Amino acid sequence: MSFWKKIALFLSVMGPGIITANIDNDASGITTYSVAGARFGYSLLWTLIPTTIALVVIQEMVGRMGVITGKGLSDLIRENYGVKTTFFMMLGLLIANFGNTVANFAGLAASMEILGFTKYIMVPLGAITIWILVTKGSYRVVEFILLYACIIFVGYIISGVMAKPDWNTVVKQTFLPKLQWNSEYIMMSIAIIGTTITPWMQFYLQSSIAEKGITKEHYKASRLDVVIGCSITDIISFFIIVTCGTLLFPYGIRINEASEAALALRPLAGDYASLIFAISLANASLLGAIIVPLATAYYICEAMGWERGVNKTFKDAPQFMWIYTLTIALASLLVLIPGAPLVFLMVLSAVINGLLLPFVLVFAIFLINNKKLMGEFTNSKMYNYIAWGTVVAVICLTISWVVTSIF
Amino acid sequence: MPFFGELFVSEILKKPVLDPKGEEIGKLKDLVIVKGEPLPKVSALIIEKKNKIFKLPWTDLNIFNKRIISANVYGETLQPYELNEKDLILVRDILDKQIVDANGAKVVRVNDVKLQGYNSEAVLIAVDVGARGIMRRLGVERGGEDLMKLFKKHLPYNLISWNYIQPLEPKLTKISLTVPRQMVSELHPADIAEIISQVSHKEGASFFKGLDVETAAGALSELQPDVQAAIITGMETEKAADIIEEMPPDEAADVLSDLPMDKAKEILESIEKEEAEDIQELLSHEEDTAGGLMINEFIAYLPETKVKDAIMKFRRDAGEVETVYYIYVIEANEKLIGAVSLRDLLLADPDARLTDIMETKLKTVTPDTDEMEVAEIISKYNLVALPVVDTEGFLLGIVAIDDVIDRILPPAAKRKRRKV
Repeated sequence: MSFWKKIALFLSVMGPGIITANIDNDASGITTYSVAGARFGYSLLWTLIPTTIALVVIQEMVGRMGVITGKGLSDLIRENYGVKTTFFMMLGLLIANFGNTVANFAGLAASMEILGFTKYIMVPLGAITIWILVTKGSYRVVEFILLYACIIFVGYIISGVMAKPDWNTVVKQTFLPKLQWNSEYIMMSIAIIGTTITPWMQFYLQSSIAEKGITKEHYKASRLDVVIGCSITDIISFFIIVTCGTLLFPYGIRINEASEAALALRPLAGDYASLIFAISLANASLLGAIIVPLATAYYICEAMGWERGVNKTFKDAPQFMWIYTLTIALASLLVLIPGAPLVFLMVLSAVINGLLLPFVLVFAIFLINNKKLMGEFTNSKMYNYIAWGTVVAVICLTISWVVTSIF
Repeated sequence: MPFFGELFVSEILKKPVLDPKGEEIGKLKDLVIVKGEPLPKVSALIIEKKNKIFKLPWTDLNIFNKRIISANVYGETLQPYELNEKDLILVRDILDKQIVDANGAKVVRVNDVKLQGYNSEAVLIAVDVGARGIMRRLGVERGGEDLMKLFKKHLPYNLISWNYIQPLEPKLTKISLTVPRQMVSELHPADIAEIISQVSHKEGASFFKGLDVETAAGALSELQPDVQAAIITGMETEKAADIIEEMPPDEAADVLSDLPMDKAKEILESIEKEEAEDIQELLSHEEDTAGGLMINEFIAYLPETKVKDAIMKFRRDAGEVETVYYIYVIEANEKLIGAVSLRDLLLADPDARLTDIMETKLKTVTPDTDEMEVAEIISKYNLVALPVVDTEGFLLGIVAIDDVIDRILPPAAKRKRRKV
């Protein structure tokens, strides 16, 4: 195959992996990286290397299942593990993703306030726009916007470069880290993995690959899409940590939220860096707010066998439309109510996510080794060792993350 | 073994199966299904005891109902059973899977299966695709009903009779009846396309292969280009050629243009020569131009033809042509000089000649006209079809309004499906 033919082939299957990985950097992800950079400087950069590897290993398996079976993950779980398992899993996913959506609307509200707009107008406006875009617009428009909105994430790279870090130190700290042995440091490194590898993105990736109708002849190109996507996510994370690590860490500025990072950057790095940070946060939050509710409604209806589709009406697909609409409406409302238990909700969401992840990953490994489904595309023995190792490590870390976020 | 009444499979799963002395042989794990007349029936029970699996033939059963399942035989005499892919077993192969409801023309998921006694056999009478089935599986059917009663409502049964089911798995297709096949053929091609676009590509292809040539051709043109290509590529050339031949040449050309070169060539070679030439001619035009949209089947007569003769000829010719609303008037050398609408033809004096009644100020386009321009002309002059001529005025084909609309507003199944 000629070089150009290969490029054309890649462009035709490109999308799912890159979009999934970028939406992974939603409001809660950006918060975690900003806080990590401000609190520990460059010393947590190394965690991105194992995180990327784990992400690639897991996403590759899920993507492969999408290509070979042509079905979504919730579909496969329902067909192979029955209605009970699926039902409770979907219930967990619904609650966890509701929390995710709240976090994203909260991120949108905070970034809008920084940019000088009142959240009481911008959040409802954002919610209504998202709802109309998806239900009334065509999905092609949405996918187009999503793919190009990912480019805004380059903003983080620009602000990272503008911060003028000492690249020598950055590289050294990334590959030869000085580990710290205090509980806060360990918790933070676990949080980075926990926020990067989430249950919903496994469902999202597999469905979008299956939907795109990528066949096994094009599996290699699809794998490249997944690997590139995972790498981009972590490159963005890298620059967020670098920015905060360069500008905030030396002054001992502690932050708890991504929006605080944008504010704290203003006196130190000027309006531009602050603006870029705020706009990128708004963009990430909006992307998350579009995809997470839509994806949730989709998997639940797929698993339960209810009519689904963005071009359906409330009459044709009541469950789908109600889940989608209520998630957006309630989440945006909650953000606007003063004194609403947002923190509690986000912790709850993190806990449920953490509890779901082991099941999702273990099911994924069992399914990918199912000869009846995967034929010759099951994991090789070696790959299984790597996969199980990764999964067990991720599970242990997530569970300890859950435990620490409760107490 | 007599079995009367009816029950849902979820109600008996994991229930103990007893021997004549009332001792437990094991727990019910699954049911083996075989083809029966008129409906598929249960041929044996699969029983699990201490991680070992046994097969209990239906004829060895004594009692089979919601409360008690008991056998005539003792546990020691049972045949060990090994799960295999040859047998069709209910829980593994039917429950939780997607199927096509041929009556409602949509894809649904099997939440439960209903069995009914018929001639002392247990036959598969219906599948439950509703919320009630899910609740029954979760063990809260009663609770759900009580909850609905609070709102003075009834929890509806959502059952689909086995007669209306079209399975997606090839294995299941073997035991299904001939009835649903016919039902599927009666569905509108757009509905079939919608069904195919909702299931995985493997299932879609196997469902498609089961269609008869005529239905398949109709459904294929409603599908998204990449799905079309995937399905045709996966088929034997002979069968693919039969289907392509059945399609109108413009749509056939669209399908072939998305295929890999050698496959398209192979198919073209298996198609009847005349048809293949039509398609080949269309293939030479860009897809988004008048040439790509046009169809080279039309009705054209000479100017001196009398109206009554034209009507006679029309009766004979119109059967094979898709768009028949205009009769084009061409000179002997195929140069387009006018058109007569079907309405004018029928209302005209039978002895008049076409040249007397034809419209001569025709709107025409050339093959390289852009599709949007074609659409604008059709819209502006309220046309049903627009002739395509070459620079010297020779009639090459016509663009029909439905092909233009399909380009501007693709039907649901042709649009990219969900892709969240």
